[in-house]
Amino acid sequence: MFASTPRHSIGSFELLMFRENLATQSRVVGALLIREVYTRFGREGLGFAWIVAEPLIFAIPVLLVWSAVRGSYERGVPMMPFLWTGYLPVLLFRHVGGRMLLFVRVNAGLLYHRQVTIFDIFLARFLLEVGSNLSAVLVSFVLFYSLGWMDLPKDLSMFYLGYFYMIWWSAAAGLIIGGLSERTDWAEKLWQPYSYLYMFFSGFFYLADWLPPALRHVALYQPYLQAYEMIRGGMFGNVIKTYGDPAYETFILAVLTLIGLLIMRDSRKYVVAE
Amino acid sequence: MIRAVDVTKEYQTEGRVHRALSSVSFTLGKGEKLAVIGRNGAGKSTLIRLLGGVELPTSGTIEQTMSLSWPIGLTGGFQGSLTGNDNMRFIARIYNKPFDRIKDYVEDFAELGKFLSEPVKTYSLGMRARFAFALSLAIDFDCYLIDEVIAAGDQRFQRRSHEELFEKRADRSLILASHMGEFIKSYCSRALVLHHGRGNLFSDIDLALQVYNDL
Repeated sequence: MFASTPRHSIGSFELLMFRENLATQSRVVGALLIREVYTRFGREGLGFAWIVAEPLIFAIPVLLVWSAVRGSYERGVPMMPFLWTGYLPVLLFRHVGGRMLLFVRVNAGLLYHRQVTIFDIFLARFLLEVGSNLSAVLVSFVLFYSLGWMDLPKDLSMFYLGYFYMIWWSAAAGLIIGGLSERTDWAEKLWQPYSYLYMFFSGFFYLADWLPPALRHVALYQPYLQAYEMIRGGMFGNVIKTYGDPAYETFILAVLTLIGLLIMRDSRKYVVAE
Repeated sequence: MIRAVDVTKEYQTEGRVHRALSSVSFTLGKGEKLAVIGRNGAGKSTLIRLLGGVELPTSGTIEQTMSLSWPIGLTGGFQGSLTGNDNMRFIARIYNKPFDRIKDYVEDFAELGKFLSEPVKTYSLGMRARFAFALSLAIDFDCYLIDEVIAAGDQRFQRRSHEELFEKRADRSLILASHMGEFIKSYCSRALVLHHGRGNLFSDIDLALQVYNDL
């Protein structure tokens, strides 16, 4: 465990140790997760409740204002569930990406503990954001459903699949942006406008079906739009036409994840502790 | 054993390459005590970060078969906004040690009393040093990486540190970055003198200190 051979070179010996390493890994990630919760939300006042409250404070006013401004239907699609399925994934992407900027550098002190890897730190931060986002999805859904503003998704498994892909996309994007930010200042500078403009091109505001066919063909290469199509397909059923393709989505996200992991591993070289 | 072979570390600052360490080599066996001496900017902190595994060498290798503590100095892996207790819980979890045993040891050794339930950032330097030192002793490493810390405590703490580290754990290895000649003389058998990133290994401590003083 204490050998300085990097973890990514897995020899036969390490494969034998896999079971023990997996236990170590989950213990370390768990400890980091708890530390992250205490550090970010504190132990006093609302404490843990902030995990749920934080995204809700963003989401609920925004959803209310927009649904008031845009009217209750757009092209035959009810507005509130359309915005709800759009905005919560945007929050997930933004929060995961934002939390990964320079995350290795600010946590460099943790690397003195040999069993902590940058991937563990990534995982702890990522899981916290995902947990926070999913609880906001649940709470806001229950709220809007009980107010009669939204129905249950027509096709739950399609909805879940779409949201799963959205989470996966956030992970891949987080790895890439986090890794790049360690190496160049440009990453952080570009993240700000990109994460803002993301709202407009990601699929938050539109369905692929609303685009002209030539543009739609190109737009569907975007992994987040693919995920949106599945989420919306799951939400509204065959009232709308959607274009999600799980095979393509799995392929593109696997490629992006691999790229992200390579960038992240490489960023280890650029770590400069205080 | 810890074996550093031709360890070189370069930093890129504003397009210029700065070489902080240049082909430093040494071997540290079980129970050996090595002093690292050098003026400010000679590469001591860089060496400690590399040994600690936080940064990777630009070239060369560091091989380890001993478990190595975090640098027992003024910082090192603690979250200032968390309390002493929460930091201990975190350390206990990642090193898979029972929290109660660690807490008992730290309470007894560091003598921080109710401060353990206060955020670490409110501690004085001496308290932090005591806390970090007690916690690393509680984990029980093969080799301790000490960054000029024992001096930070008061007399009583120095005496107890001495007991714990040099009497009860005489079989452990030690890497000690220090400026204090007397201190080094009484504990270390060899010294690595760093100057402009280059290292010279001495088995005669008096000679090493003389070279250092003439730098």
